[in-house]
Amino acid sequence: MPTLHVNGEAREFDQPDRNLLSYLRFDLGLTGTKYGCGEGLCGACTVLVEGQPIRACMTTVGAVSGGALVTIEGLAAGDTIEDLHPVQRAFVEEQAMQCGYCIPGFIMSSVALLEREAHPSDGQIREALADHMCRCGTYQRILKAVTRASEGDR
Amino acid sequence: MTLDSATEATWALRVVGDVTPGFPAQRTGYGMQTYGNTTPGTEGATWIAVDATGHVTAFAGKVEYGQNIRTGLAIEVADELRVPLEDVSVVLGDTARVPWDMGTFGSQSTARVGWQLRKAAATAREALLRLAADRLDLPTADLEARDGHVASKADPSRSLAYAELLDGQSLELEIAEHPATTEATDFTVMGRDHARRIDAVDRVTGRSVYSQDVQLEDMLFATVLRAPAYGAVLRTADFTVARQLPGVVEVIEEDGLVAILAESDEAGALAARTARLDWDIPTGQPSRWDMPTLLVESGQEPFATQEAGDLEEGFGLASATLEDTYYIPYIAPAPMEPRAAVARWDGDDLTVWAGTQRPFGLRQELSAIFGIEEARIRVIAPEIGGGFGAKSPYSIAHEAARLSKASGRPVRVAFSRAEETMWSNFRPAALIQIRSGFDAEGRLTAWQSDAFHSGERVMIGRRGSDTPYDAPHIRSLVYRSDSPIPSGSYRSLGAAVNHFAREVHMDEVAAAVEADPVELRLRNLTHPRFRRVLEAAAADFGWGTPLPEGRHAGIALGVDVGSYVATAVEVSVQGREVRVHRVVAALDCGLVVNPEGARNQMEGAIVMGLGGALWEASDFEAGRLLNPTFTRYRVPRITDTPRIEVRFVGDPDAPSTGAGEPGLVPLAAAISNAVYSATGVRHRELPIQRQLA
Repeated sequence: MPTLHVNGEAREFDQPDRNLLSYLRFDLGLTGTKYGCGEGLCGACTVLVEGQPIRACMTTVGAVSGGALVTIEGLAAGDTIEDLHPVQRAFVEEQAMQCGYCIPGFIMSSVALLEREAHPSDGQIREALADHMCRCGTYQRILKAVTRASEGDR
Repeated sequence: MTLDSATEATWALRVVGDVTPGFPAQRTGYGMQTYGNTTPGTEGATWIAVDATGHVTAFAGKVEYGQNIRTGLAIEVADELRVPLEDVSVVLGDTARVPWDMGTFGSQSTARVGWQLRKAAATAREALLRLAADRLDLPTADLEARDGHVASKADPSRSLAYAELLDGQSLELEIAEHPATTEATDFTVMGRDHARRIDAVDRVTGRSVYSQDVQLEDMLFATVLRAPAYGAVLRTADFTVARQLPGVVEVIEEDGLVAILAESDEAGALAARTARLDWDIPTGQPSRWDMPTLLVESGQEPFATQEAGDLEEGFGLASATLEDTYYIPYIAPAPMEPRAAVARWDGDDLTVWAGTQRPFGLRQELSAIFGIEEARIRVIAPEIGGGFGAKSPYSIAHEAARLSKASGRPVRVAFSRAEETMWSNFRPAALIQIRSGFDAEGRLTAWQSDAFHSGERVMIGRRGSDTPYDAPHIRSLVYRSDSPIPSGSYRSLGAAVNHFAREVHMDEVAAAVEADPVELRLRNLTHPRFRRVLEAAAADFGWGTPLPEGRHAGIALGVDVGSYVATAVEVSVQGREVRVHRVVAALDCGLVVNPEGARNQMEGAIVMGLGGALWEASDFEAGRLLNPTFTRYRVPRITDTPRIEVRFVGDPDAPSTGAGEPGLVPLAAAISNAVYSATGVRHRELPIQRQLA
């Protein structure tokens, strides 16, 4: 049976044309990746494939089976604040969230941004997150959180 | 997600009480009859419970949909009970566990439930002091509670931890009528900036469970066949192909509800695409361009939210008059999480998971639908991915419960984005006519306002329709007009709409007498709380000092849910594009329990307000919604976000009032006024960007 590498674990699948978001949420129970619009516009379903942010709602399991896939559940080393990924910790510290539904997607894209650009400018952060929506309007805090995460190793 | 009865059985101390009463009308600006807790509620419900380790659990019927009330309530309880914030848990929105509540709307959680929890926590603290007095053989007056301990004031080494005091106890106390709640000057947890929300780690790790995420064993996925237009009726349906597809379990057609039940979400969705449906769509339904005329022509039941003096006399005293019309279209709440519900029957007992703003209201509806007692129904509101008013109506939970009953298995119903928008309630459209008379300095002599708001719920249009300015001769009427599409609750109800018209008009008065907009407003305001927020926002903004090249300023003020707010904005207009660069707001909401939480709410309301001011309008034609998805419905993005500064100027001794909604109220007018300053063109219709394009 073909396999997918999700958060470091090999997971089998039998339907290559299964929607990736449905597969993650309903077949694997990884519900941290969210459904927001179903057409790749809101960013709530963002996951990383080989470090690149992709919209899980717009692709299939088969299309990503070759690469290593990371979801929001795969970022932290453990359950406490100390175990969080630096980007997650920065979101906590800046209180960059309200309802929190969009936040996993923002965090995944922010992680990818900081991988390719360790110290992004305000403009680069905005550009990287331009296709994510937060209806609670926490954008100013998200900008601060990503900046804070990027300053961690300075 | 199961009832944690083991824990609940081991409480060492419980504080119980009846449901909190409603507010006096003057506190909130709306009538007791609509916003009071008028339904007889849970008697003797548990509000605070402390276990034998000293850990505190607070129970409230509110739900968490982003407003951070879980942390806010925990802060209030921690302060009154003198325990660290980490030692407080909060249980919300589960009808089997929490006191009855009418619903989470109208910015009342801190104001009403927070106060009840403070009284309950103070009652618990007094009981702990009495227990310590016995054990230490000291009068309670010589003792103080601090950091989860009770100690002798004279000799702090004589101290007992709450856990020691509660060992072996099983106390049940009524909330005292007048417990010694903490004075503002003695707060140690309230009013401070806290490092984090108590649910923050769950939110950044994906552990928070929303209604979209609830999955039960043996659960079926329902795809409900929904009408393509409002008012459409299904004439015939053919599921011959659908029934034969793999994964399809059953097609249910009962009393207006038609659904395919499948073993997976995609199997059901695919089957639905093969169904042959013939819909009867009523003709002659109005379209969006009919609205201005429809609102006025269908307007009925004029209701005076303000009436004083004699308008004719007032206009006679005026040296000039202005008369203008303002139009605000429908907009969609569009929360990030589309509604979803899961229902399960265990014999005659029903459990429903639904991200509703009204778990107890939903329980009542389910009770009526199935003819069973409310006690047999449990509604659990998990985390809610945004609401803004959209999640008060929650009929998909009815559908889930009906489909579960019909199929005998747990059933999940979830909206797609397009369904969420179409079957939501839009903020009512409104047309507002204002006529003002004023003297040479712009002091109002007369104010006449006629506001036509769409929809049956008249309180929506009435909210915020009364002017705070001192016109001696005044009449503000609000009419109920027809609504061709569903209209209902939206953050601040009609207040942001009414404020848009009034605050743009005040700017027009200022322009007419060539007065500064801040000065003009101050000339017409005696109320100290309005004056204070206006002066604070103007000062923080640097009102009157030169702005960078190409930048222009606008200001507006308002009141909502008992809180006073003023907002100044800095914009530029480049070609046909308005950009908002900076927003400075001052809020007086009395005591601020959780400043960082309140600031977050203000920032969010301001960002949300950008959408309605600049881009958002829900378009419809003959019963069809034309822009139900984000491809055609432009909401604010991070690239639109201005620098936002918020200051709280309220008196900490004044009772807390709402912080979630007021930020929205002055924003559109402030932007319109700034665009006028930039271009000389007055925008009396929203969204502004549509007028420029």
